[in-house]
Amino acid sequence: MLPKVDGGRLSRCVALWHPDWMRPPSVARAAFRGLSPRTRSAVLHRIGRFAPWEDGFDLSPPAPAPGEVTGPPDFVGIGVQKGGTSWWYELIADHPGVWARDDIHKERHYFDHLGTVPFGDDDVHRYWGWFPRREGTITGEWTPDYLGYPWVAPLLARTAPDARLLVLLRDPVERFRSGLSFRLSMGAADTEATAADAVRQGFYARALHRVLRYFPADRIRVLQYEQCARDPGGELAATYRFLGLPDHRPRGLRHPVNVSGGKLPIDPGARQRLVDLYASDVADLVALFPTIDVSLWPNFAAHEG
Amino acid sequence: MQMTLRTAIAEGLHRLPTPAHALLPPAQRADLRHRLGRYYPWEQGFDLAPPILRAGEASGPPDFVGVGVPLAGAAWWYRMVVDHPGVSCREDVPMGRHYLAHFCTTRFGEEEAERYHGWFPRRAGTITGEWTPGYLGCPWVAPLLAVAAPDARLLVILRDPVERLRLQLARSAADRSDHIGEHIADAVDRGFYAEQLRRLLQFFPVEQVLILQYEQCVADPDGRLAATYRFLGLDDGHRPVIPRRPDGGTSPPAPVLDRDTRSRLVDIYASDVADLATLVPGLDLSLWPASAG
Repeated sequence: MLPKVDGGRLSRCVALWHPDWMRPPSVARAAFRGLSPRTRSAVLHRIGRFAPWEDGFDLSPPAPAPGEVTGPPDFVGIGVQKGGTSWWYELIADHPGVWARDDIHKERHYFDHLGTVPFGDDDVHRYWGWFPRREGTITGEWTPDYLGYPWVAPLLARTAPDARLLVLLRDPVERFRSGLSFRLSMGAADTEATAADAVRQGFYARALHRVLRYFPADRIRVLQYEQCARDPGGELAATYRFLGLPDHRPRGLRHPVNVSGGKLPIDPGARQRLVDLYASDVADLVALFPTIDVSLWPNFAAHEG
Repeated sequence: MQMTLRTAIAEGLHRLPTPAHALLPPAQRADLRHRLGRYYPWEQGFDLAPPILRAGEASGPPDFVGVGVPLAGAAWWYRMVVDHPGVSCREDVPMGRHYLAHFCTTRFGEEEAERYHGWFPRRAGTITGEWTPGYLGCPWVAPLLAVAAPDARLLVILRDPVERLRLQLARSAADRSDHIGEHIADAVDRGFYAEQLRRLLQFFPVEQVLILQYEQCVADPDGRLAATYRFLGLDDGHRPVIPRRPDGGTSPPAPVLDRDTRSRLVDIYASDVADLATLVPGLDLSLWPASAG
């Protein structure tokens, strides 16, 4: 058995995983980065360090700092991978009314682990432990994978029934290209199952229908990456209002992080096949959430109306 | 020189007895295999060049294609199908060609379709086909199949979705450490049969698809097999020597699901199972007690 990671070491666990947050001397850092993703994770696992989305991750929450209390999250971002969620989360966390600790990953991935195992009151309270906040502030998380996991919405409804949910969507074909390329760069096996997973994540309406069985539509804010990129100030103000926060002007408004990355090259015929595959889901999405502006998704604009 | 040495080391490690293999994490084992140029048919990197035709063989589009689903007895049923004297099946060609699954992001034109046909050698007067249970879960495959084998008869064998999920969880337990949610999601998603079948039926008329229920095949193998032969245009009097029960294989034991977990999974599948019942009139839900509400 591998040793458990205690609360104090948790930050380093996350830090080592997240290249931007790494703390070791630059030579060691560079050498470590030079290893393949699979070797990097093998090294980290050997010393008991796991990322929140990995099987060995310890779900015990971090210790609250003096002055902090814990409780259910006020907001939970549930989608989507490669949709610009790190950028948007950082803008939310920049608000003085929001508590976000640097040593806790924006993506808790808590429910990833609990789809096929018993889920009881202890699990509910353990999740709350992941949300320390100062009195008078709100807090939350953003795990973009949740939307694609059919078991999450019912667990979330039980654990954080009053949370406001955020979803940041992006043209599904472009999301697929970024998403698959990202997963492969992280060491995922290049198999049909990995590709199938990346394709499935783009059926947004299908996934949102499932969430709507557990949360009313007015508690879900569906944002569109392309609208956020075009008018970040306006979309952010709307996001703050949705979260019950007063207006605020953060620094670095126009710098999406993690979105561009590599995009998988795609054959024009294969692109058209994916567009055809997603077309009815996109139509369904617009019917469900009319604020989605399909003209910003050129792959689908021709399919509209 | 360095590559040669590396290859030699890799070859040596690869030939170690299985227990020594097991010391390496699955990802490292796969890297080792790929270094030797060995790929499974479902991995990118697999050589898609078709096998060489033997004397008396011709190739062409498959007459039948099994498209689903994993862990539902497809290998058992395929063996019984190809046991028929009217069916050609070469032992050196895998049951699941996986060919079409490779073209998610790449060109698929006439050349690629013809190469697919090359994967189906058959003797004169016989039919042939493949069964790739993962096709149904790859949404881009149906339109490719409609181009490459528009007249093929399609076979799908389904199994109680919660049972199927349980088996896949056992199968993937060893290699799901890198992204546990994705592995569980894959196992869950492959059980939404109606949704996947509806996508398939956009490209193939329902008469061209035979949907079998694993539990019915176990209960009445001769009857279901005769129906399968008839669907494929074969004489239904043949009785194969293969066991009328699937062997358990070497799968690790599937996890036992407690009542609460099971009922959460049943809820997840409920609407899809209801939809499936309207899509497949012969479906006997009483044989799926694990998924009954």
